[in-house]
Amino acid sequence: MNAGMTKFAASTSYYFRNYYRSRSFYLMLAMSLLVSGLMTFFTIRYVNSLTGFLPSLNLASLSMPTKESVFGFLWSYVLLYLPVFSSVFFGSSAISSEIENRTAFHIFSLPISRSSLLISKYLAAVMVTVVISMIYILIQAATFIYVFQIPLISGFFYSLALLIIFIFSMTAFTFMLSSIFNKNTYAYISVFLIYFLIFTAYQFIAELLYKTTPFYLLDNAAGIIEKVYVNISLSPFNFTFSLNPVGFGEITQSVLVMAIYAIVSIAVSLIIFERKEVK
Amino acid sequence: MPSICLNGITKRFGNVTALDTVSFTIDGPGCVGILGPNGAGKTTMLKILTNIVKPSKGVATLDGITVSEYPERALARVGALVEQPEFYPYLTAREILSFVIKIKMVKEEKEEIKRVSELTSIEGYLDRKAGEFSRGMKQRLGLAVALVGDPDIIILDEPTFGLDPSGMKRIRDIIKEINARKNKIIILSTHLIYEAQEVCDRIIIVNNGKIGYDLNNDFAHHLKIELELPGKNLDFPKEMVSQWKAEGNLIYVQKVDGTRNSEIIEHCRKNGLEVKWVTPYNDIESTYVSLTK
Repeated sequence: MNAGMTKFAASTSYYFRNYYRSRSFYLMLAMSLLVSGLMTFFTIRYVNSLTGFLPSLNLASLSMPTKESVFGFLWSYVLLYLPVFSSVFFGSSAISSEIENRTAFHIFSLPISRSSLLISKYLAAVMVTVVISMIYILIQAATFIYVFQIPLISGFFYSLALLIIFIFSMTAFTFMLSSIFNKNTYAYISVFLIYFLIFTAYQFIAELLYKTTPFYLLDNAAGIIEKVYVNISLSPFNFTFSLNPVGFGEITQSVLVMAIYAIVSIAVSLIIFERKEVK
Repeated sequence: MPSICLNGITKRFGNVTALDTVSFTIDGPGCVGILGPNGAGKTTMLKILTNIVKPSKGVATLDGITVSEYPERALARVGALVEQPEFYPYLTAREILSFVIKIKMVKEEKEEIKRVSELTSIEGYLDRKAGEFSRGMKQRLGLAVALVGDPDIIILDEPTFGLDPSGMKRIRDIIKEINARKNKIIILSTHLIYEAQEVCDRIIIVNNGKIGYDLNNDFAHHLKIELELPGKNLDFPKEMVSQWKAEGNLIYVQKVDGTRNSEIIEHCRKNGLEVKWVTPYNDIESTYVSLTK
């Protein structure tokens, strides 16, 4: 391994340790276990009687793979919040905390490039978010195998792969906002406001006025993680329902949107981080 | 031989000029003290040398390598402790040292951790998380981090800050011990005049972003002579003393290279003045006060 790679690997490893020993990690882990526990109870209890969700849908009459798809959709619908909150915890403060907590004095004076530091921290944040999401995913897999008594359907694996892409893009997005601020609080609030308020408001306006769903918003692109099971849109202004998964074209489009968010966000973070000064 | 050069460095933060066309060179081993009041610009100078901030104008080089252009190469043989250090709170001191050892590509990790932790007396705290450390312990860990890899250039920003008197003495002893090897440049920023006088070979006083004083801290060249009675009509030959002044029965002299103390005492006696005692003295304190008031 060359010098640059050795430094990069060391840096990633130490950032990962610092993340997984943090209170935020244990809090997210507890949330992941709690939510997956609730979802397990919900799946076992309502496997044949999900009338509250779609009254017209007679679950008992569906085949096991289709039933698994419907529950896969519901599990993924809940799952989507885990990487968002994890990224907020681990990514929003990733750069601002170096300034606010003054660790930048220590790391900036080391003979390692800032780009290596940033990318290694980014990878560490992605890994720790994947770990938290995987707890939920593993419990989901165990529950599905137990309840439906069939091998996991292909939608499960597509959803998992797309989830990992989403984690990369969501974490990059939070890193970008974190690089703008020198205070953690501003970075946290900005991520929440942009993701939950501005994106949602923009989507409502677009759907109400133009009858179109803005596919280029990150939260919409992330919806593909649910739709590879069954193609349901729960938007109040643009409700659609199909027991078939979305097509290849929509998957490709969402992957591209998420990839663009990841690449652009990391590029912007790198530019800002390279110029960052600690007064 | 290690070298440091600041050439016409100006640093502005918005409308505030922290450093104003500062230049100096350190060509060989030795300990250089940067003295100055809070806000004088001494920490900014060190931040520029360690790539924490970039200069608005001018060039800073370490061993001839421009810091702002090639920071990784320039900092390869540098150990730094800038401001009061903070570390990743969930990593132990051992892990932090191990991280720095890997970044600095030092081969013998265990031996290096042992060496720097013993030198800074943190060997009993290696497996505690940095987040649990007191201010003084963080300072010692910061010094240990700076010493990893036995760097040629050591940059220390108020390294005794927050330490108890015995901790301060320990750190000063470490710096003196390293300086005695005569193979490193140590830059020590401090606002403690006695600390700079005790440890440094050269002292630079910074005020309002400018260098106000840059001189060898050479005690042997400065003498305070106490006479039995006030000196009258005393004069020294220029080849013996470059500057002198009398205050009552005290005479302050700056010797010319090669002049022995005994020659000065003999000269006084020849002029009818009985010398009570001679002590080395340094006027940095009064220079500091006059420059920074």
